[in-house]
Amino acid sequence: MFGHERSITQIKYNREGDLLFSVAKDTVTNVWYSVNGERLGTYNGHTGAVWCVDCDWDTKNVLTGSADNSCRLWDCETEDNQPYLTVPCSDHKITSAVWGPLGEFVIAGHENGEINQFSAKSGEILKKAKEHTKQINDIQTSVDLTMFISASKDNTAKLFDSTSLDHIKTFKTERPVNSAAISPIMDHVVMGGGQEAMEVTTTSTRIGKFEARFFHAAYEEEFGRVKGHFGPINCVAFHPDGKSYSSGGEDGYVRIHYFDPQYFDFELEA
Amino acid sequence: RAPVTDQHVMEWVGGVIQHSCSSPLTLLLHFSELLDDILREKPQEADGIDSVVVVDNVPQVGPERLEKLKNVIHKIFSKFGKITTEFYPDADGMTKGYIFLEYASPTQALEAVKNADGYKLDKQHTFRVNLFTDFDKYMNISDEWEAPAKQPFKDFGNMRHWIEDPDCRDQYSVIYEAGERTAIFSNDAKEPITVEERARWTETYVRWSPKGTYLATFHQRGIALWGGEKFKQIQRFSHQGVSLIDFSPCERYVVTFSPLMDTKEDPQAIIIWDILTGQKKRGFHCESSAHWPIFKWSHDGKFFARMTPDTLSIYETPSMGLLDKKSLKITGIKDFSWSPGDNIIAFWVPEDKDIPARVTLMQMPSRQEIRVRNLFNVVDCKLHWQRNGDYLCVKVDRTPKGTQGVVTNFEIFRMREKQVPVDVVEMKESIIAFAWEPNGSKFAVLHGESPRINASFYHVKNNGKIELIKMFDKQQANSIFWSPQGQFMVLAGLRSMNGALAFVDTSDCTMMNIAEHYMASDVEWDPTGRYVVTSVSWWSHKVDNAYWLWTFQGRLLQKNNKDRFCQLLWRPRPPTLLSTEQIKMIKKDLKKYSKIFEQKDRLSQSKASKDLVDKRRAMMEDYRRYREEALKIYQEQKSIRLELRGGVGTDELDSNVDDWEEETIEFFINEEIIPIGDL
Repeated sequence: MFGHERSITQIKYNREGDLLFSVAKDTVTNVWYSVNGERLGTYNGHTGAVWCVDCDWDTKNVLTGSADNSCRLWDCETEDNQPYLTVPCSDHKITSAVWGPLGEFVIAGHENGEINQFSAKSGEILKKAKEHTKQINDIQTSVDLTMFISASKDNTAKLFDSTSLDHIKTFKTERPVNSAAISPIMDHVVMGGGQEAMEVTTTSTRIGKFEARFFHAAYEEEFGRVKGHFGPINCVAFHPDGKSYSSGGEDGYVRIHYFDPQYFDFELEA
Repeated sequence: RAPVTDQHVMEWVGGVIQHSCSSPLTLLLHFSELLDDILREKPQEADGIDSVVVVDNVPQVGPERLEKLKNVIHKIFSKFGKITTEFYPDADGMTKGYIFLEYASPTQALEAVKNADGYKLDKQHTFRVNLFTDFDKYMNISDEWEAPAKQPFKDFGNMRHWIEDPDCRDQYSVIYEAGERTAIFSNDAKEPITVEERARWTETYVRWSPKGTYLATFHQRGIALWGGEKFKQIQRFSHQGVSLIDFSPCERYVVTFSPLMDTKEDPQAIIIWDILTGQKKRGFHCESSAHWPIFKWSHDGKFFARMTPDTLSIYETPSMGLLDKKSLKITGIKDFSWSPGDNIIAFWVPEDKDIPARVTLMQMPSRQEIRVRNLFNVVDCKLHWQRNGDYLCVKVDRTPKGTQGVVTNFEIFRMREKQVPVDVVEMKESIIAFAWEPNGSKFAVLHGESPRINASFYHVKNNGKIELIKMFDKQQANSIFWSPQGQFMVLAGLRSMNGALAFVDTSDCTMMNIAEHYMASDVEWDPTGRYVVTSVSWWSHKVDNAYWLWTFQGRLLQKNNKDRFCQLLWRPRPPTLLSTEQIKMIKKDLKKYSKIFEQKDRLSQSKASKDLVDKRRAMMEDYRRYREEALKIYQEQKSIRLELRGGVGTDELDSNVDDWEEETIEFFINEEIIPIGDL
């Protein structure tokens, strides 16, 4: 779907999965019907690139974070908005964050590859994990919030337990991973990435060859790829029912893919 | 140097006492004390002894010709400085044949030694000139010969250990992490087996010796050689700032080059070392390392040669001296190379006034010219030897008379035939690459201009003809890589051509496979010709650094990503120990051996599958166990979750059906216009 002038930074399904929110560097936030890709509405108001988006559990409010140093809380239906919070920058800036299973702590990924658990009440660090060697680009939880997957510039994505921060699995590629998500119904994870724009020194003949990669969560082996984007993939997300997934790219496109029956029957020999 | 005797010294001293002169020498009065002093003490600047030279092989003359002799000597030797004293010892009315000369300063005496030693006065008299102080040094050498201390035996183990791998796996070196790590792997078709891995093993890159015995690493202070089963350090060569090396084909010598260490007196830019003893054999100056190796070795390591303006210098081993003690004067020599099969040098000189350009084949050490070929209107020549020395191809770029453009001919010299006949192949387009089949009589040429690049294959037949077997047009290729065993080859479009690959079987000139390794910068065949590695080096492309393993037919076996992968080099194999008869026998019984190997392969394949399946089963069990634990806790927390959302269950998508709103959405699928006839 085309609805953004510039590269997509994040996409999120609401809890039931009927809506898909997308934000991009063009300061615009869009919401789409995930069943047919029809755009429902747009939230305008940010003055800088919007980097992240999330909606609450009953799809009443939408929260966006932007490079204009503000978080905006929007009413989903009315496109009304009030500036909610302005967050100043600091060292080892936080590049991604998710809630813990019961809202008692926040799990944050940092520019230097660290992952920390911050108490939601006191703000102090409860647990630390330093498994990645470069910036964390994205953190997404499993549907039951018991685990999360971190996508890093160090060419890997890693699966962690949310409560203990134990490192469970690693998925290796040869490109920086920009985003990763855990399937709600299968033992699969999907990853999207690509080289940074700065590092592309030659004209690539591989038009349309940036791929989303699927790995088996238990075996850590790649079993499939989906082509289609014309640039690096910045964000991936599974539909809450696990029957489809979406990807947003540097090319400004959001792509929604429905899995064919073979996907659900596929098994690696064990 | 001239023989040293006490006689010389005593003569000289005696002579000095007789000679009346106001030089510092006359301070020495007593004969015996004098002798002791001189023989015992080290010469010092103040003594003046450093300014004295002894000249041997001087003509023995009677008093009537003495004046003339003195004039001649004076004329020759005053070139180096001011002669303050001269002494001509005599006996029985004739001069003895050696003289002493004192200069005003020690440096002048040194000049005399440097320049006059070896001076040919006439047929019978060649001067030998030495510093007097050298006599002292040599006479102090003890008469007793002391055997050198016994060095403890350094056992490096079996230096050919890798060849004994029961599954015939070849090794290769990999440099990655931008040079921080170097590893040696054993090539197994399934996945590489790590043999050795070290951090900072080399500071820049590595090189294997020609027969695979040694691995050379580079360091600021010099190079190191490693080998044996455990890659222990075999030898170290100190050469500050070394940047380039070259091995002799026999692995006896290694040549190192450093741009830093060169002084006029002590040539140190290029050093040749004896690998087994670690000794420095000889040093050379070097103006420019642009065309390394500067010294080219003959195939058997007996000779090495280099080219300087108008000169070809050939040296022999192990003396490291010039062959026949002189270099070859070849005016205008542009390039030369050794035959890889015989001690023959090919070189070419460009046109000189009315003398046409020509290529010459010269036998060593006899220096006999085996073949000379004149060439006309030559712009440039390149020499390409076939790997066994069976053929030489000279690529000649010419501007034919009356035209402006440059055309290329290949002059093919048939080395194994009497009188070395030459056949010419004319090429209509510009040449991008040329390569001989390593042990055969075919060659491949890439010609044309992008995007119309063509690959042509020629066969040099016994009947004097050179046949064009096949031409493939519109190829994405800029490099040719023959298998070291011949017959198979890879045409590659490296770097700017984005890694296009074509695997060719030249026995019938078919394309076995066309593939791509995006941005590949290098192609390396293993020494047996079974495998090909294509790689993307971090040195030329900063992303996707990896090496891929293919079969010789172009079937991709492995993709090995390595963080900041830089270089892969196969370890060369030593020449086979089998005789041609034995090889014939094996080829005859090949079917028998194939059966055994196929069975082995099948077993290892199923074992691999079994290993993989077992591994997966174990991983799944662990994972399931972890998930069960997590789920248990999740269930236990259900009540807390309900509370957090005001009693609304959100664990499942359909936890709250009552809350669902039904909405009907219409969306456009298709439009079809059906004309309803004319009404």
